[in-house]
Amino acid sequence: MSEKTYVADIDRSRYDFRFDEDESSFLGSGLDSEIVNAISQEKGDPEWMRQLRLHSLEIYNKTKMVEWGPSIDELDVDRIITYIRQKSRMNTDWNDVPDDIKQTFENLGIPQAERESLAGVGAQYDSELVYHNVRKEVAQSGVVYTDLESAMHDERYAEMIRTHFMKLVPPTDHKFAALHGAVWSGGSFVYVPKGVRLEIPLQSYFRLNAKGAGQFEHTLIILEEDSYLHFIEGCSAPKYYEAGLHAGCVELFVGKNATLRYSTIENWSKNMYNLNTKRALVEQGGKIEWVSGSFGSHVSYLYPMSILNGEGARAEFTGITFAGEGQNLDTGAKMVHNAPNTSSFMNTKSISKSGGISTFRSAVVVKENAHGSKSSVSCESLMLDSISRSDTVPAMDIRTKYADVGHEAKIGRISDESVFYLMSRGMSEQDAKAMIVRGFADNVSKELPLEYAMEMNNLIGLEMHGSIG
Amino acid sequence: MSIVKLNTLPCPTFTWLGVNDTTADAAAPVSESVSPGGTVQISESAALEVSAQGGEKRSAVMFISPKESAHITTKVTAQGGSHVTLVQVFDGSKRTVSKVEAAIGDDAEFQLVQLYLKTADTISEVDVRLDGTRAQLDTSIGYLLGGSDRLDINLIARHFGRKTRSQITAKGVMQGSAEKTFKGTIDFVNGCSGALGEEIEDVLLIGEKVVNKTVPLILCAEENVEGSHGASIGRVDEEHIFYMLSRGLPEDEIVRLMAQSKIAQIVGRIADEQVRGRINDIIGRGIENE
Amino acid sequence: MSHLLTITDLCVNAQDKAVLHGVDLAVEQGSTNVLMGPNGAGKSTLGLTVMGSPEYTVTGGKIIFDGQDITNESAYERAKRGIFLSFQNPVEIPGITLSEFLRNSLEQISGKHMKLWDFKKKLKEAMDTLNMDPSYADRDLNVGFSGGEKKKSEILQLLILQPKLAILDETDSGLDVDAVKTVSQGISEYKERTGGTLLIITHNTKILDALTVDTTHILADGKIAARGGSELAYDVIENGFDRYIGRE
Repeated sequence: MSEKTYVADIDRSRYDFRFDEDESSFLGSGLDSEIVNAISQEKGDPEWMRQLRLHSLEIYNKTKMVEWGPSIDELDVDRIITYIRQKSRMNTDWNDVPDDIKQTFENLGIPQAERESLAGVGAQYDSELVYHNVRKEVAQSGVVYTDLESAMHDERYAEMIRTHFMKLVPPTDHKFAALHGAVWSGGSFVYVPKGVRLEIPLQSYFRLNAKGAGQFEHTLIILEEDSYLHFIEGCSAPKYYEAGLHAGCVELFVGKNATLRYSTIENWSKNMYNLNTKRALVEQGGKIEWVSGSFGSHVSYLYPMSILNGEGARAEFTGITFAGEGQNLDTGAKMVHNAPNTSSFMNTKSISKSGGISTFRSAVVVKENAHGSKSSVSCESLMLDSISRSDTVPAMDIRTKYADVGHEAKIGRISDESVFYLMSRGMSEQDAKAMIVRGFADNVSKELPLEYAMEMNNLIGLEMHGSIG
Repeated sequence: MSIVKLNTLPCPTFTWLGVNDTTADAAAPVSESVSPGGTVQISESAALEVSAQGGEKRSAVMFISPKESAHITTKVTAQGGSHVTLVQVFDGSKRTVSKVEAAIGDDAEFQLVQLYLKTADTISEVDVRLDGTRAQLDTSIGYLLGGSDRLDINLIARHFGRKTRSQITAKGVMQGSAEKTFKGTIDFVNGCSGALGEEIEDVLLIGEKVVNKTVPLILCAEENVEGSHGASIGRVDEEHIFYMLSRGLPEDEIVRLMAQSKIAQIVGRIADEQVRGRINDIIGRGIENE
Repeated sequence: MSHLLTITDLCVNAQDKAVLHGVDLAVEQGSTNVLMGPNGAGKSTLGLTVMGSPEYTVTGGKIIFDGQDITNESAYERAKRGIFLSFQNPVEIPGITLSEFLRNSLEQISGKHMKLWDFKKKLKEAMDTLNMDPSYADRDLNVGFSGGEKKKSEILQLLILQPKLAILDETDSGLDVDAVKTVSQGISEYKERTGGTLLIITHNTKILDALTVDTTHILADGKIAARGGSELAYDVIENGFDRYIGRE
């Protein structure tokens, strides 16, 4: 085929390199209080955190698996290695990062990205944050961006973390939230003080390297009144035979009149189980903007929830999901209107191809007190062949008459006319379809910073050409 | 009596929403099926059948207001080229469990009109198989709920045949502290190439304490289909209010008119004038001003 | 003659954007007025604001109708006082027939119950004046009406409701010659029968043929830029607005 495919194939390799694991650093697989205590001890948890872990473990052991969504029968959680003692401790100087890990991140362009355009970068390799740095001027404005473990031991933030950690996503939320509570490790803590508006984005990049590993990073972001932050989260994992598990947790606290934009391009390898929980609590006049692209993973359950808790709070969710061969991606969003005059807006696209299954799943809840609230949901699905599957499962629960709730959904295929038109202008069928799909994904790509939009377009090109390469 | 799960959502979702299924006492067996002709009054549990042979046209109208809690099953068969119309008017103050099961053949058409005018506690399921090529389903559902009415509807259009079409329209008004769940599923089964499915729900909330749940699903395993659903839930449109205010109508009158408008759009789909008249008589007492 | 409508220093915002910046306009009882202006001048905004549309916020100034300050009244109260607006884009209301709707409006505005038979007769007469197919009375309000039929439906309502002030917002736009003639006849019928007051927003003269224009108001950039007699309307239609714009 064309040069494009060739380029795309090289691109793919960016995500497929790996280094050999040193088996001796595993703490063992399966989950009991001994392991949880060991993790806690290893990390030097404060006592409240150790208790939280043990409490979560209890909940984990008595909570049933979810009764809806894609099958996760093949996921043997007990065999997932829950914790890998990292070969290194935290580093703030790139030169101190061990060579193989450094190579991984060099390949991903992390320090390079930081030098070029980001306010700060946190990179997590398996379970622990290995490299972390924030630009001086950002730090001077009072913004804190550090790994959660250090923050927990820093007396300036310890109390803040204790009062926010897993308060938005309690371990009782679901089985994997409980698992997360028990074994979480690594992740980021961001604090933006009152009135500080960060014009350049902060970025974190998660990467799973050990085979059969679990990644349970926790992201905690607190925005004070009138602040602004754009946080970018990228995920990837090289491919291994054994299935990996990602059960991260993201808790976002958006203060009065503050705005948080949270962008994610997820490209885990296609044997990952991505059971991630993301939630934002938005106070009066505040706003959460989610931008979410799901391309990787074998199975995904991902529905960021926005709780609009103060008058006039707003939430926007813009998402795209591309399910290719062997993938079952169940994604969407949840909006809870819990205060007057709140508004939510959801715009999603999903694409199914080569036997992939994509499900759009959403919930819009307007509570009795949410007078004057508005919600609008628009979802579109594209079926690229008849061996794939695309389901749309939205739900609305409206409990006040003083609300306006709208919903629209469409499912269809690429029209032959469009393909014909592009082909008549000299494009191959595949290129024509890829172009149409890129256009279809426009809602998300135009919300992303340029380099991420380009990466997403590459991913789409890759998926579209994969079957003929 | 044993408890059974009813109105199971074809693709279950978040458990906390409480929409995946509902439960009721199991039905007592009903000895034989009756095939109603014309208009019938149903006041107790019954098993009914409406079937049309090739090319035939059949229609049945059921006014359902059981004296005791009742289970009503209706089996509809529309064979090749036939046309079946079924009108069901629910107007009962006792728990009613209804199930319509239909199979539609080649070039056959099934028109279903359901009106829920008083539903103290109604669980209603409609499960339609569009088996034949070009089989068509046209469903119109209207509801006028008030007081502490409870209604749970689970409607499933299963597209098996090629070029099948389904149209689901639901319009309703909720007053008082009524609670309603409307689950509507368009299921494009692999092989139903050329199928079209459309679903619309339009709900006007009037009561201060209403609970409205809307769950419109599209399940799709076929590329060459077109499906859409839309829902609009809430108050009367501002533009409509302004237009009517400017013509001198007070707000409570506007709300009453809009409520009437919703139901009238469904009633208007019933061909039989006498049936329409009888329904309008029932509605006359149904729309209150709050 | 006294003023039926007096607008003073009216400032109006649409979605936080200022559209009218201090409009002064007086309309005499029983007169026929034309309101003209380039696209985007704020003509429709003015009409909708006088009717009390919630889409627009009055940020300054007053609207006095029939000696009463109505600036903060709802559209319903204004309608009862006798203001009528013929909408550029009337809404469609399925399930409610034109006849049912209009009878309801009439009873509300007049405060009197009307016998169905009397109403039907009245409606039939008005429909005849407008060459409207009587079947439209039993069709759902504006649903599936063509552009021309919607405009006729508005004028039909004008004839039945007989307001003191009728604001016609481009009632002639998008109509063919015959339809404009019919609509124009309907308007003069209203005028003759009730001695009503007219404020006509338009771009051309055809709708004015059957009427005697008393005053022409030119609105530009959210302000009244010029005022004159009927000759002004004809001059503008022939020569454009250029002469009247921007010479404060």
